[in-house]
This record gives sequence, structure tokens and C-alpha cells, in this order.
Amino acid sequence: MFLPSVLAASNLVKVQPGLIFWTLITFVIVAIVLKMKAWGPILSLVEEREKQIASSIESAKRERAEAEKLLADQKTAIAEARREAAEMMRRNTQEMEKFREELMAKSRKEAEELKLSARREIDEQKAKAIAEVRSMAVDLAMEVAGKLISERMDDSKQRALAEQFVQGLPLNGTSATGAVRRTA
Amino acid sequence: MRKAMVLFASLFAATAWAAGSEDDVPGYILHHVVDSPSFEIEVPLSAPIHLGEIPPIHIPLKADGCALRMTDHGQEVPGLTEGCLDLSITKHTVMMWLAALLLMATLFIWSNRDKTKLVPRGAGANLIEMLVLFVRDELAIKNIGKEEGPRYVPYLLTAFFFVLFMNLLGLVPWMATATGNLAVTASLALCTFVITQAAGIRAAGLGGYLKHLTGGVAPWLWPIMIPVEVLGLFTKPFALTMRLFANMLAGHIVLFFLLGLIFILGHPAVALVSVPFAFAIYLLELFVAFVQAYVFTMLSALFIGMSVAMGHHHDDHGHESEVGPSHDHGKAHHV
Repeated sequence: MFLPSVLAASNLVKVQPGLIFWTLITFVIVAIVLKMKAWGPILSLVEEREKQIASSIESAKRERAEAEKLLADQKTAIAEARREAAEMMRRNTQEMEKFREELMAKSRKEAEELKLSARREIDEQKAKAIAEVRSMAVDLAMEVAGKLISERMDDSKQRALAEQFVQGLPLNGTSATGAVRRTA
Repeated sequence: MRKAMVLFASLFAATAWAAGSEDDVPGYILHHVVDSPSFEIEVPLSAPIHLGEIPPIHIPLKADGCALRMTDHGQEVPGLTEGCLDLSITKHTVMMWLAALLLMATLFIWSNRDKTKLVPRGAGANLIEMLVLFVRDELAIKNIGKEEGPRYVPYLLTAFFFVLFMNLLGLVPWMATATGNLAVTASLALCTFVITQAAGIRAAGLGGYLKHLTGGVAPWLWPIMIPVEVLGLFTKPFALTMRLFANMLAGHIVLFFLLGLIFILGHPAVALVSVPFAFAIYLLELFVAFVQAYVFTMLSALFIGMSVAMGHHHDDHGHESEVGPSHDHGKAHHV
């Protein structure tokens, strides 16, 4: 029942020239229209996007390398700065120490000098004072002696001594006047 | 879900039973898959609505070539060999045009976007671009090569989408499958054939192309070799033609036949089995619509690639023939 009707309807495998004609025409028109209106724009857009993606990746790689280089530079710079700072610190402390020592030495020396000069002054003053005391002692002794002498002037022996002294005095000068006053 | 299926099936069965007066199932199936000049819409539970016919276009190639003549099956138009070119607009012609219009409309809508934005937006634009990129990268460039591939991308894209839309349109109710018609697939294969030969001539030059037809053997073998090579040229488009035609036709016949089982066995309960089966086949056909479009494009790309490789192959071949008759002609066919 099935097979005979298939054979009868040879339409199934009949190739209609009209349909071939229309298919070719339609296909060519569709191909031309789509190439102009669809495939061209889509493909060019896709190509542009691919190009952009490739260039983006490329530039990202380049920028990354650059950033890494910069980072390395930065790191070495920081290390350098840190080293320098440490060096400076070390030098500073050294200098401070040196300065302190110098200052100490200087002040010690000054103190020493001050002490020395004070001692010298003291010695001088002491010597002066001693000299003064000594001269005052002579004066006192002289006065005491004078008093003693004046009270025993009648003693002939002492009178003679005084006369002898007076005779021994120079004729002019302070000692003569002193002697004169004393005698008066 | 199961209840819905049973309901659906019984509804189908009832419809089938009601319309079961015509029991010529093979005739019915054939009526649906073959081309015809008349258009009709079938309505469940009633007679099909005839939309009439487009006036036939008959171009007589000789005087009185298109005079109708009576045969056993009724009136018949003489064939091309008898002097009549029948350019009538048939059901499949209309389906093909509909597919072409749908294809162009779809692509215009989804490819007409802001050209400054390089990334597509939306499901449609993304889908189109995905398919375009697939055809370009997986079919054109893989089979033809990086240098020559892009040149043939527009052709392959057109073939892919045109076949795909005709296949899919055939799965829409009341529509017909234009790719289930030998004339349509033969024309498409003819396009690929022309492109393939053009690619071969372009790659090898006309001399190289003709030389390739001799198979590169000694002249006294040419009478054997040339027919073999020429036959080889035509087997490729023939394979393309038959593969697409048979696949699309067979799927629809199976689909119709599963539903026709209800009438052949004559009981509504058959619908419980045949409707789910038909549904499964329908889903399979959806898949096949894509697969066949893919296969057609892939084979076209492969043939073009072989043709292009033939040109490059012959450049190397010149040195070999000086050394000796050692010949690896088959290599070009396994690229």
C-alpha cells in the first residue's frame, strides 16, 4: 500500500527546474544582501574587537612589566634611603659623642685653668698678706720697742745707744724726720 | 505533568479519530512532504482550508511547448526536456522565501546595533555572533586555513543560516520543509560546487586546476584518470544534496508516520504511545535542523578547503614529478 503510492508519487524525487531556478536566485540575493548588511558589519566588528582585546592584553602586559620595574626601583630606592638614614644616624651619634667628649675635655681644661689661676691668686694674696702681716709686725715691734725705749731713756747706757743710733741715721730723708718726730 | 500529557494525548487522539475518515495514511504523508502548487491550511476537526494557487509561470522553450496534456494522474505540464520551463511558485518556493525573509529580518534586527560598542548586548545579538564566530573559527578557518578561510566566511554563513532557517521553518505547524526537496538541496550544493571550483582555480590557476584533473599521472593514463577526477568533482555536491534532502525528508516522514499509526491501527489508545514518540522525534528534528545546517556548511568548507589545498599541493607536486612517478595525490583529500 505504501510502496506503490511512493512510486506513483514520483514527485518525491522529482527535481523541478523551476524550484532550482528560484532557489539559486533566492540564495544569491540572500547572500549578497546579508554580506552587505549583516556579515560585513558583524565580522568587521568582531575583528575590531579581537584586535582591541589583543592590544589590550598586550598593553596590560607591558604596563604590568613597567609597574613591576617601577616597583623594583621603588624598593631599591627605599632600601637605599633606609640605608642612608641609618648611616646618617650612626654618623650623627658618632659626631654627638665626639662633640660631647670635646666639650667635656674643654670644660675640664677650663675648670683646671680656673683652679690653677685661683690657686695662684690665693698664693699671691697669701704672700701679700704675709708680707703685710710681716710689715705690721715690724711696725708693732718698732712701736713696742719705741715705747720700751722711751720709758728707759734715762738709763745712761740706753741713752748712749740711742745717740749712737741717731748719729748713725742719714742726715736727710724720711727716716731722719721719723727719727726727729720720734725724738720730739 | 503526567496528567497534562494524558490530556494532551487524548485530545490529539480525539482530533485524530474525528478526522480519521481518510485512511490513506501514506498518501497523506506524501501529500505533506512533497512540493505542490496549491496552498492549504489544515484545521483540526474540519476540512482543510484551501488558500488557492498562485498562477503558474510556464515559459515555453519551443512553440506550444507548455500545452497541458492529459495523463493517468490528471493534467500535467510537460517537462524541461519536452520544451517547457516551469517557473511556478510552489509551496516550497514560498517556504524558502519565507525562510529567507525571516533570516534577513532576524539578522537585521540583531546585527543592527550600536557600531561603536564592540560587545554585543542581548540574547539575540549574542546568539547570532556566537553562531557567526563558530562558522568562522570552527568551520572556515579550521577547514580552509587562516589565510584563505576568511574569504569564504560570508558564503558559508549564508549557507548555514539559510539551511538552518529552512529546516526550522519546516518544524513550524502548517509550514513545509523546503530543504526536504531535492531541487532545493541540489541548488544549494550547486552553489557550493561553483564556489569550490572557483576556489580551486583561484588557488592553483586555471592551468593548475586543469592539471589536477589529470591526476598528475603519465599522459597515457589520462583517459582513465580524467573521468575519475571529474566524477570525483561531482560526487561531493551529490553527497551534499542527498544528505540534506534525505535527512530532512526522513525526519518529517517519521514524524507523520508515528501520528499516522493511530489511523493505521485504528484505535485512539495508540495515541498514548505515538504522540509522546512523535514529540520526542520532533525534539530530535529540532536538533537535526541544526546538525544538518552544520554538516552542510562543514562539508562545504571541507570541499573548499580541499580545493584550496589542491593549489598549494600542486606547487610541491612539481618537484616530485621530476624525481619520479611517486604520487601522493590522495593526501589532498585528507587535509
